Amino acid sequence: MASEKMGKVTNGLRLAFALSSVAFLLTMALSPLRDLLLEWKHYKREYVRFAESRPDTKRLLADYNSGIDQIWLPRLNATERCVTCHQGIDQQSLIDSSVPEPFRAHLFIPHRVKEWGCVVCHRGQGLATTVKEAHLATLTWEQSQLPISYIQGSCGVCHGAEMPEAPRLSKGREVLADLYCVGCHKLQGMTRPVMLGPDLTNVGNKTSKEWIFKWLKEPRTVSDANGNASVNGYETEPEPRMPQFRFNDAEIRSLALFLGQQKAQPIEAYRFDTRIAAAWEKRPEVVDQGEVRFKQMFCSTCHSLAVVRAGETQLIGGNIGPELTKVASKVNSDWLIYWLRDPQAYLPHSLMPRYGWTDEDLYKVVQYIMNRLTDQDLFSNVPKLGTAQSSEIQLGKKLFQERGCSSCHVISGIKMLEDFGPDLSSEGAKTVSQLEFGSAKIEHNLIPFLDAKMADSFSVNPNARMPQYHFKEEDLPALTTALLGMTGPQSIPGIGTLVIPIPKKEYQPAGDYGKAYERYKCYVCHRFNGFGGTLAPDLSIEGSRAPRRWIADFLKNPQTLRPMLIFRMPQFNITDQEVDVLAGYIKMVLQSAQVDEHATSLQQFPASQTTMGKQLYEVKYQCQSCHTIGSSGGYVGPNLSNAGNWLNVAWIEEWLKNPQALVPDAIEPRRDLTQEEIQALTAYLVTLKQGSQAKQAGAAQGGGK
Amino acid sequence: MRAFSAVMTLLVALSFLPGCRQHHSLTTEAKPLDSAYGTEADWNNPQRLIPLNYQQVQGQRVFYHECVWCHADSTPAGPSNRTNLTPSPALANDGATLNGLNNDYLQNVISLGGSAMSKSAMMPPWGRTLRQDEIKAVIAFIRQIAQPVYQGSSSAGPKYSER
Repeated sequence: MASEKMGKVTNGLRLAFALSSVAFLLTMALSPLRDLLLEWKHYKREYVRFAESRPDTKRLLADYNSGIDQIWLPRLNATERCVTCHQGIDQQSLIDSSVPEPFRAHLFIPHRVKEWGCVVCHRGQGLATTVKEAHLATLTWEQSQLPISYIQGSCGVCHGAEMPEAPRLSKGREVLADLYCVGCHKLQGMTRPVMLGPDLTNVGNKTSKEWIFKWLKEPRTVSDANGNASVNGYETEPEPRMPQFRFNDAEIRSLALFLGQQKAQPIEAYRFDTRIAAAWEKRPEVVDQGEVRFKQMFCSTCHSLAVVRAGETQLIGGNIGPELTKVASKVNSDWLIYWLRDPQAYLPHSLMPRYGWTDEDLYKVVQYIMNRLTDQDLFSNVPKLGTAQSSEIQLGKKLFQERGCSSCHVISGIKMLEDFGPDLSSEGAKTVSQLEFGSAKIEHNLIPFLDAKMADSFSVNPNARMPQYHFKEEDLPALTTALLGMTGPQSIPGIGTLVIPIPKKEYQPAGDYGKAYERYKCYVCHRFNGFGGTLAPDLSIEGSRAPRRWIADFLKNPQTLRPMLIFRMPQFNITDQEVDVLAGYIKMVLQSAQVDEHATSLQQFPASQTTMGKQLYEVKYQCQSCHTIGSSGGYVGPNLSNAGNWLNVAWIEEWLKNPQALVPDAIEPRRDLTQEEIQALTAYLVTLKQGSQAKQAGAAQGGGK
Repeated sequence: MRAFSAVMTLLVALSFLPGCRQHHSLTTEAKPLDSAYGTEADWNNPQRLIPLNYQQVQGQRVFYHECVWCHADSTPAGPSNRTNLTPSPALANDGATLNGLNNDYLQNVISLGGSAMSKSAMMPPWGRTLRQDEIKAVIAFIRQIAQPVYQGSSSAGPKYSER
């Protein structure tokens, strides 16, 4: 009975069973319906509708399929589905900004989308199929898409070499290198330079402990909104290498006392010729004369001075050497004279050339520096430091080692610290979960994190050891961009290792020339066979350009050829013997294979050719729009008034054929000149002479100019 | 029973939810310059930054190497060569003069020089120094910085589509 009752199917049960089956079927049916409503399908359908509204529908829909599109990038070992929605990405007719996203074509870039995909540059999640997950960092994914303004960071992942196409990346790398971030951090593709901050082994002989106190406390002058100095620091540089450390006054005191004791080698006071000192001691104009000499020597090519103009403080001068506005408050005159006579004796890695001073010039320039480049109020808020207790010296030494000073500065007996800060060589590949945001009120993402860390690391981590840098406003995004490009070892096979080049002096000539080259630090400004600075012209083929006599005259008395240049070659007072060595080497060795001086004999061009050349110069090609001859003409190219003495005949001819073949970044455009025109222009240019030879040439040419 | 069907209904309703999500959730709070590859300060108002795309940034680079000396009033080196020249070259952002010239014309005058286009011979030809795509990029750059703003020339110019 019981079993019968159990097996009995009541109508109620039937109904329940039927209903649940219907509900189940309905659910099953809803699943494809839901599938139909997926986000990417919406864009698929939209695209078809959009393509049908365009005249080239057929082409736009040629590759269309209704499923998920993905591209496989075997070289990058990646698959991505971005093209599922961005269906017009490769269609040239959809490049216009009126085309709605996500269908717009990609603007022209050197990488084709089909070969490189999207994620390698834009980041984000290539496999995601919803808008949010593909572009943003959500809970399930870790990398968000880069804003376009930071996308140059992705260029940096593969392109380690200089990259003019990505100016912000290049700028960021430049700042990273300039500020010696490698002192504390490992950075992808950057090597630690030999000298970071100055060697402090002997700093006690150079400056006072009061100055060190001031420098550590208030390194920079800070101006308020009205342009008045609210902090009267030592330096005025907008972006100094030395940051502000977070020391308290007791710590600064200890460090200043410790550093003030570093006097490894005594500085011997230089004895001027007694006649000079006697003659100039009581004459106030010596200071003005020193200033004139300072300017004539073009110290400002490397050093800047702060000048107040119209209420605003401006720095005038270069940034290879330190800013000098208040230098006399820092150094003592014995040290200054010692330094100026032989910088490398104090600091072997210094970039400062060793000038050939006359006693009189040295005396005057030192008088100028010590009397004018000083600030009486600089130490007004520095306490009297008095004598040091040994416990303070010990504390100073400990701080020096523990707070990262020894990452950049050498003191004999203290080991230099490498990798004091975190390794940043793959910082750009970090995912959100790898970042410590602390209590910082910023968006939880890599870019705001990097920005906040560099602008003020305390805002992210109150125990940060990183000192306070004062980056220029426009440099901060550039720095972040450069760090985004640091994603660890090269991950894309076949691209090879590219290294960020840092100007090096690997071109190291030997012999007498090598000595002079090293003494005058030619490579700090000039480039030789790919090594050296970029401030001044590349001299790799200078011997082909100019005759030896001109080179020798220029070395003795450098005069600028380009009126627009602010920075000029300093006057080094090179000795005649050194001039001979330098000019001889440049003439013999620094030659271009393209310029054959012997192929063009120093023929006397006929007067008719000279006249035609002058016509071409002045009327047909109007070269005067960029070049000056005498007192009229343009500023863009060099002054040609002395072209006949300055340039070799063969050089002029080669140059006129194709300027960029000789100097790749020359501004002068290449023109279609006939051989006859080239000869005529050359004939005219060689008659342009200044100085003693001008008259002779004029007589020989029957008045060429 | 009633509870069972309620659960089913709820499940069905829930399954719709993902599909109902907003499709354009990416209209972010982003600042306009976030989507710019680079920027150029408006020459008439240095506070205002003009967004530049990749091509325009390449044009900007070429412009500041080759063109700026005569087509701007201040240059990276300081003084401008513009005042030395008669007739005075157009400022690169001078929309009143340049907006009326179509891209083909500008491409030609830059490539072939002033004398080939019956203009001043002081404008040299750049066609053998710069690549055609570099010249197109320069045009794209000066279009973007033009004041008054460039609205597109009447005749369609060459599109930046070749490699």
